[in-house]
Amino acid sequence: MIMIWYKILLLATLGICALGCINILFSLIKKGNAKDYAKPAGNPLKGVAYSMTGAMSPKRKESAYLHLPTYSAGLLYHFGTFLCLFLLILSFFSISYSNFLKVAFLGFIALTSLSGFGILIKRMVKSGLRSLSNPDDYISNFLVTIFQIATALVVMNWIPDMAYCLIVSLLLLYIPVGKLRHIVYFFAARYHLGWFYGYRGVWK
Amino acid sequence: MGNTITDQQITKGLTVFDNIDGKLLTALNSCVHCGLCATSCPVFLATKDEKLTPAHKVDLVASIYKKYCTFSGKLFPGLVSAKAIDDELVEEMVDQLFGACTMCGRCNIHCSIGVDIEYLVRTGRTMLANMDKVPSTLQSTVDSALNTGNNMAIPTEEFVDTLEWLEEDLQDDLEDETAKIPLNEIEKKYLYTLNPREPKFFPLSISAMAKVFHVAKESWTLSTKMYDVTNYAYFSGNPEHAKIIAKRLDDEMEELKAEECVLAECGHGSRSFRWEAPNYLDKKLDYNVLTSVELLAEYLRDGRIKTDPNLIEEVVTLHDPCNLVRGGGVIDEQRYILSKTVKNFVEMTPHGTESFCCGGGGGHLAMSEYNERRMKMGELKAEQIRKTGATIVATPCHNCVDQLIQINHAFKLNVQIKTLAEIVADSIVINSEDKNRIQD
Repeated sequence: MIMIWYKILLLATLGICALGCINILFSLIKKGNAKDYAKPAGNPLKGVAYSMTGAMSPKRKESAYLHLPTYSAGLLYHFGTFLCLFLLILSFFSISYSNFLKVAFLGFIALTSLSGFGILIKRMVKSGLRSLSNPDDYISNFLVTIFQIATALVVMNWIPDMAYCLIVSLLLLYIPVGKLRHIVYFFAARYHLGWFYGYRGVWK
Repeated sequence: MGNTITDQQITKGLTVFDNIDGKLLTALNSCVHCGLCATSCPVFLATKDEKLTPAHKVDLVASIYKKYCTFSGKLFPGLVSAKAIDDELVEEMVDQLFGACTMCGRCNIHCSIGVDIEYLVRTGRTMLANMDKVPSTLQSTVDSALNTGNNMAIPTEEFVDTLEWLEEDLQDDLEDETAKIPLNEIEKKYLYTLNPREPKFFPLSISAMAKVFHVAKESWTLSTKMYDVTNYAYFSGNPEHAKIIAKRLDDEMEELKAEECVLAECGHGSRSFRWEAPNYLDKKLDYNVLTSVELLAEYLRDGRIKTDPNLIEEVVTLHDPCNLVRGGGVIDEQRYILSKTVKNFVEMTPHGTESFCCGGGGGHLAMSEYNERRMKMGELKAEQIRKTGATIVATPCHNCVDQLIQINHAFKLNVQIKTLAEIVADSIVINSEDKNRIQD
């Protein structure tokens, strides 16, 4: 039993994280849309669909096409996080990977964690970003980057499972508390933006 | 120096977080501080001040929410930059939310997450309004509307005199004594509204629209009691004041038994009545509300007025008012109108939903203390205009007209600023057959 205490911890923190995120989601659903008695000029659902698709295109957002290096780093970083979360889930099923796959994961995650590290450095160095940032921003970025690195290392069997599980547990506990909650709020924000512009006929 | 903000003011300010809806809750929690919104904000582009980015404005409002309404903010304020309301914070909020944001909403569409930043700024303004911290210059404009029925405090007699001479002018211009500017007539199809700047400074835009109505043989009227399309309480953030102003127009619609309400060329005016008034009044309006831009386009489409684009040969460009376009979805109509009324139309870059605010939005024209910032923002617009090579700038908003006139003067653009009604009126052609039809 002593051997698996950290896996139990991991499962427990995963449960806490899931409950925290579900709680956020349910409170958003419970609070509902902002009241709007104005006669609609368009279809809000089409607006939501566009908000989640076309409006996200890098061609449509200045935050993407005017800042391509940062945008690309951010995108890579997020892909890396999703891959690591996927590998975390697979780890519960004791799936083993071929050496080729392991090296591929290592290479890709090295790139994505480097992107995350780059974003962290940028936040520390650029005065505009620094003035906007709080400890939560640094902690979130640091935890996710460490999570990615730990995932790559554990896949290669270069660190013990215990170290990996502890790092992941820490991250999972932090997700519902800090800015990493945007894993839920992001979709809510896109929904409300799309609803608004769809309702008013701006995004037709 | 002690803190002059009282507990009572703080309590009042925090009422904006009572009965919070999903949209506000989302906006308060979504910003990831990436800072990429900065380059979409005309205030930042004009000032290069890193403290004036949209993300900083979001953070101001969110920091208060975190401090008073969240577990992490109450327990670990330093971790999530949760802040208690004090003099310094309020001063910063007034400067950033009133003085450094025109609520143009351009940042919304470019935000990497999709935070409704403008909605948060409005919430912040409401918080300040609840604490009696609206800049006095802006509040005096609201007070004029509340106390006199229009934001320029024009006495009814003066208003009626203006309309009478405009009617005489219109009759001379059209050589038609049946041309009228009807006042307080009941059971007409349209109750038409005005921006009080029109009777005060730009009366020709009234006669332009009157000419269009006359040629289209429209059933319409103006009200002398409530004609003001503006609602500066939308800018001050005070929903009670906004409700009083909106209710007056709603009441006048009922009083005059008009079928539909036509909102004059005013960006925030059209937004505040078409889109926000039903929410201020807590009800669905039982009549249709449309902008004069949509009506002009409809007349042209239906052939109720005929125009000749060759009558306006100059190069014309269009400034899109933020509240009409991003806030109201009126995007194609003004372009259709110009395609039928001018020979050489050139778009600004960027335009439409991507358009930059001219600097006059958000109540900035009323807040003289921010004139320097406003004119710096105007420089961006001046450059856009200059690049089109236009000699006429059309815009369906009287606040924008005012700002563009100042930009024209300050940056020596040597252009004419016109409303769409003026452009349409200038390009109308009336042949003898039309004349007989109109006079029938």
